[in-house]
Amino acid sequence: MNEGGVDAIPAAGRNHRALPHTVSPGLWTLAWRRLRRDRLAMVSLAIVLAFIAMMILSGLGLIARDWAREVGVNYAPPTFLGPEAAAEAPSSTAGASSATAASPAAPAGDWEAEVVDPLGDVLAELRGETKPAPGAGAAARSAGEAPPGGTAGHAQEDTGFVDPLADVMREIEAAKRSAQPPTAGGSGATVDPLADVMKDIEAARTAPGGTSGAARRATLPFGADKWGRDVIAKTIKGSETSIFVGLAAAFVATLIGTLLGAFAGYYGRWVDDALNWFYSIFSSIPYLLLILAVAAVLQHKGTMTIVLILGLTGWTGVFRLVRAEYLKHKGREYVQAANAIGASNARRMYRHIFPNVSHVVLVQLSILVVAFIKSEVILSFLGFGVPVDVVSWGSMLNEAQNELLLGKWWQLVAAGVSMALLVTAFSLFTDALRDALDPKLRGSEGR
Amino acid sequence: MPGAACNGTGGEGAQYRRPALATLATGVLVVLVWLALAAAHAAEPRKVIRDVFPAAETGFDPAAVHDLYSAGVVRAIFDTLYTYDYLARPAKLVPNVAAALPEVSDEGKVYTIRLTPGVYFQRDPAFGGAKRELTAEDVVYTYKRVLDPKLRSPWSFLVEGKFVGMDEVVAAAKKTGTFDYARKVPGFEVIDRYTLRLRLTDTDYNLPFVLAHDALSIVAREVIEKYGESDGRTMSNPVGTGPFKLGEWIRSNKIVLDANPDFRKVVWDFAPVQPGDEALVAQMKGKRVPAVDRVEIYVQEEDQTRWLAFQQGELDFLNMEGPLAPNAIEPDGKLKPELARRGIRLDRYVEPEIRYVYWNWLDPRMGGMGKAQIALRRALAMSYDVAAEIRVVLNGQAVEAAYPIPPGVVGHVPGWKSTLTYDPALANKLLDRFGYKRGADGWRTWPDGSPMVITYASRPDTLGRQLEELAKKSYDAIGVRMASQRDRFPELLKIEKQCKLASREAAWIADYPDGDNFMQLFYGPNAYQSNNGCTAIPEYDALYKQSARMPAGPERDRLYMKMARILEYYAPHRLTVSRYRNQLVQPRIEGYRRHPILTSTWQYVDVAPAGK
Amino acid sequence: MWAYVVRRLWQMIPTLLGVVLLVFVLFNLFGGDPAYVLAGKISNPEQIDNIRRQLGVDQPYWIQLGIFLKQIVTADFGASWSTNEPVSHILATRLGPSLTLLVPLLIIETLVAVGLALAVAYVRGSLTDRTVMVICTVGLSISILVYIIVFQYVFAYKLGWFPVQGWGDSFWENLVRYASLPILIGLVVSIAPNLRLYRTFVLDEINQDYVRTARAKGVSENRIMWVHVLRNASIPIITHVMAALPGLLIGAFLLERFFSIPGIGREVILAVERSDFPVIKALTVYVAVATMIVNLLADLMYKAVDPRVQFE
Repeated sequence: MNEGGVDAIPAAGRNHRALPHTVSPGLWTLAWRRLRRDRLAMVSLAIVLAFIAMMILSGLGLIARDWAREVGVNYAPPTFLGPEAAAEAPSSTAGASSATAASPAAPAGDWEAEVVDPLGDVLAELRGETKPAPGAGAAARSAGEAPPGGTAGHAQEDTGFVDPLADVMREIEAAKRSAQPPTAGGSGATVDPLADVMKDIEAARTAPGGTSGAARRATLPFGADKWGRDVIAKTIKGSETSIFVGLAAAFVATLIGTLLGAFAGYYGRWVDDALNWFYSIFSSIPYLLLILAVAAVLQHKGTMTIVLILGLTGWTGVFRLVRAEYLKHKGREYVQAANAIGASNARRMYRHIFPNVSHVVLVQLSILVVAFIKSEVILSFLGFGVPVDVVSWGSMLNEAQNELLLGKWWQLVAAGVSMALLVTAFSLFTDALRDALDPKLRGSEGR
Repeated sequence: MPGAACNGTGGEGAQYRRPALATLATGVLVVLVWLALAAAHAAEPRKVIRDVFPAAETGFDPAAVHDLYSAGVVRAIFDTLYTYDYLARPAKLVPNVAAALPEVSDEGKVYTIRLTPGVYFQRDPAFGGAKRELTAEDVVYTYKRVLDPKLRSPWSFLVEGKFVGMDEVVAAAKKTGTFDYARKVPGFEVIDRYTLRLRLTDTDYNLPFVLAHDALSIVAREVIEKYGESDGRTMSNPVGTGPFKLGEWIRSNKIVLDANPDFRKVVWDFAPVQPGDEALVAQMKGKRVPAVDRVEIYVQEEDQTRWLAFQQGELDFLNMEGPLAPNAIEPDGKLKPELARRGIRLDRYVEPEIRYVYWNWLDPRMGGMGKAQIALRRALAMSYDVAAEIRVVLNGQAVEAAYPIPPGVVGHVPGWKSTLTYDPALANKLLDRFGYKRGADGWRTWPDGSPMVITYASRPDTLGRQLEELAKKSYDAIGVRMASQRDRFPELLKIEKQCKLASREAAWIADYPDGDNFMQLFYGPNAYQSNNGCTAIPEYDALYKQSARMPAGPERDRLYMKMARILEYYAPHRLTVSRYRNQLVQPRIEGYRRHPILTSTWQYVDVAPAGK
Repeated sequence: MWAYVVRRLWQMIPTLLGVVLLVFVLFNLFGGDPAYVLAGKISNPEQIDNIRRQLGVDQPYWIQLGIFLKQIVTADFGASWSTNEPVSHILATRLGPSLTLLVPLLIIETLVAVGLALAVAYVRGSLTDRTVMVICTVGLSISILVYIIVFQYVFAYKLGWFPVQGWGDSFWENLVRYASLPILIGLVVSIAPNLRLYRTFVLDEINQDYVRTARAKGVSENRIMWVHVLRNASIPIITHVMAALPGLLIGAFLLERFFSIPGIGREVILAVERSDFPVIKALTVYVAVATMIVNLLADLMYKAVDPRVQFE
């Protein structure tokens, strides 16, 4: 595409007077000059580049790596609203408290002894082990359930409970003792051999219980989601996914559509027939059904799946337009002139006609990026979005759909505004690029 | 307004030429249209109530529908032998078209049932213009029909194998392709026009509950034969003996039920039970059932649509499910003051349902009676944060399910203390002990050292996604890697019924308010049927078999408690929650109380007189 | 020309066969098994087999394909598996509401978008042009989901200008009362991208030789825009509008769901959720046929508008 400029212009352009008599600068140089003069385009470009930089940084794990950490309370409001908004948050303890409320003692009885816990021994012992271990703070939260000390096992024996697995348990016990590091015996408490790993994991997932809310922040710069994850980090991570999906899928779709469209429109005859047949099959099946069907076929639900779903189903519009353009241009004088001087088919297709239809392709690409970023939202709505360990603008908006009715607008605004900002900037820049690139528009400025 | 528009266009052409005539014609038209509108208005039923379904109905053949919403319409149009007392809690069985509760003899194997004379089907061309009374033959036809293989009724399990002699009829039907309705079987004996004796193959004290189920609503043979569709189902032409009949029906959008003019005389007469019932009884007692002339039911899939429509007064009832609930309900379970001020009422109770996360019993690494497997399941169960599911996923609109039988169902044990509690630290230790070692990356491995991944399946909707997030957190907490499988419900169901789904949060809502309906979920031989996790614990199965032949009572409860404890020890699943039902009602509705089992109760409500 | 039409009609047969094959493969092979849902809460393998036999999904694939082809030829797709409603009845009753929503939407949208496109192309480069384009760009960067949620909340609920939802029996009532807000949302969503697209089509034509020629001959600026430019720009516009038509029938499902309109799109989502193949297959085939006919009409219109296009 790059070298398409210089020799294509005299054939394509009809404004010979506009061309300077000195060495004519290349198409892209001219385009760049014109772009630079366009302040809006430059601002848009800066925004797009900033988003792409964000995407790359986030993809490399340099920013927003910890988006999944629950740093705030559930639905923590943005800092500028102040924490009092949090009071309204439906972090209701009603359900939880009634669930964990001190219930009357189990209506038990004699039957209890008739039911044998196959792991009774191990658990009793592990519970005893849990109690003094300093590394397992989490266990303390459910202390209510822990039987008093390590005596549970004995208590059960007292009630006449006979453990049919006692020998196996003893074996395990013995094996465990021999495996214990000798240091453990000192204090009488057993040290969890995996304490540090566990601590890491604990830290990585911050306890979901409301009781540990003290460690979480009441407000965050732009609020938290349902789980207490930072909305800003989530938005950054989400933009990585969404921009990637949009760009990659649009590239796939445009490539397929342009190649096929150019062939069909230029060659006509059986090539056109064959490609049209292929195209008609795809475009005749309702888009939504096609998406649902392809999504059902591509079982693996990852980000690449979404790119494929969108790319494989979204090329038909490009095909049709490019084909129509080629059909139109094929009859034009400049192509006939090129034919007369003996230019090859490929040369006519790509060097002569393509620059004249490139703006259509470009506009389509831009529209597709926008459309696919938006389609990702609908795919999420239909349940074919990204997996739960990935976040995208689509999954955020979908979550936020219910949150809005609850008055928790920040996630909707964060995802909605950043999406609108990127898409707007992207579209404006593409428009400017289109105006700058379009050979036919050149020189018409003075009109 | 539509009338005026037509009018204008009709008169326009003439106006240029003969203004006087045109004016006159227009005037006459206006008067006519106005009269027509007024007449239409007068004919308009006075008492209309408007309800909403969040999912589309499928049709109204009692034996063929399998969604709760269609079943609600079926209940309004048809009658069952028995029904439930509107106000009694826990739900109490009362006779409906039967004259009294059945006489049980031979240790729960023989049931003698007498019908009330004078119950008529709604008028229909199928009866050739004659009044058609409901008789014992209709009951037999209805019950046989549920077993007709051609009909492929989703409710055949309710009666399958229960009635003496029917297995042979079904087997013959499968062979020949035609179901022999005429063949006499000992299971169904018609003694006279109004008396009927049912003989069971085995003791079953739950039969009366089954006979109250929507699927066994009594149909007339003539109707089925006249309107039966290709497969014998009659989804579009319901003709019953119930309080309503089907009026206008725009599929998947609007269902109108009109009061059945041929409905027998039934008087509203229920005794108050719960606080607040007295006022309701005072309003309703002695009124004719149904009290309203028309029920309009709309289908609206989107939460926002339903909520806004209710707020606008376009709907009289609304069930506030989890995602919507905080709009109307305070954290303490009370109605928001701004709604209470408008006179809107809240009817809130725990649904007779349980939700549970199961792990496939047939999976060689997770399932079965091996100790390492038991330890793994218990660790997974202990790391599952039910409190977070209630608080975060369900917006507080649920209670923890500790016992396999939910509140409101016979056999429920209030205050049951499960030995499976949230304790990820202990879970970690348990896994350490049984050789699920952590690899270099911090994730655990199977005891043989191979990488450990457990697949969790969910539906691709918002709730499914949130449950999956919660499961992921739980698995992360004990260092077990979780893979996710998201699929549409039919697909999940298919894999599940083949016992190939690894893990999922399943739900079960009571078909009838008896513990057996829940305890059967984990009975080994019910694998590939209702036992989703394909659990098979010999000890449990032995006790279940014993319990199935017992009437409800302390003795059976004792067995159930043992069974519940066994389920905790072997942890084939983790019971999670039972959800609240939060039914909102507009002030203009009188006498409304949501019933936990009855799928619809429109016949028992009234509209407050205007100005009140 | 007639030879061309006949040839195109002939070409529809292989296309339709391709569609049939693709649909069959996608849905019968990958589309899930409805038997388990239809079997209800408690089912056993025997019942499942019985249901599969009743539905005919236990037959070998080639027989199922044969049945599918026969259904297409006889235009009788049987009845829905979950509701027993004849598929022809579904189509007949759901098409009306869908069209009530879509036809006005498409007409208004095209008129507005083309008018605006000509206007802004006429003043291209000016502040007005730029402002309109920026507004458009911002407008189209917002998800339709957000538009629906916010518009329904604000215009129907808060301001009470429209009903929140509903659908009646009278065409006028539906059009004027119930369809207005969905149409408005449809317009907001579709005008922005279409205006952008149409503007590029118009700009293409404005710079053609014939425009300069016309101008040199003293043809009025209005006439140039509304007759010459519009005539030529209408080729891609027609292509675009026509291509959008059949897809919209199903694509409006979000509007139909949120506003309780008993249309085709909502039915499709329902059918996919229920694995209701007879409905899915029938709808796919009908929409495919509609699309092909519309495409043919679009190509014929090329010829009518631009004689330079040749049929080969």
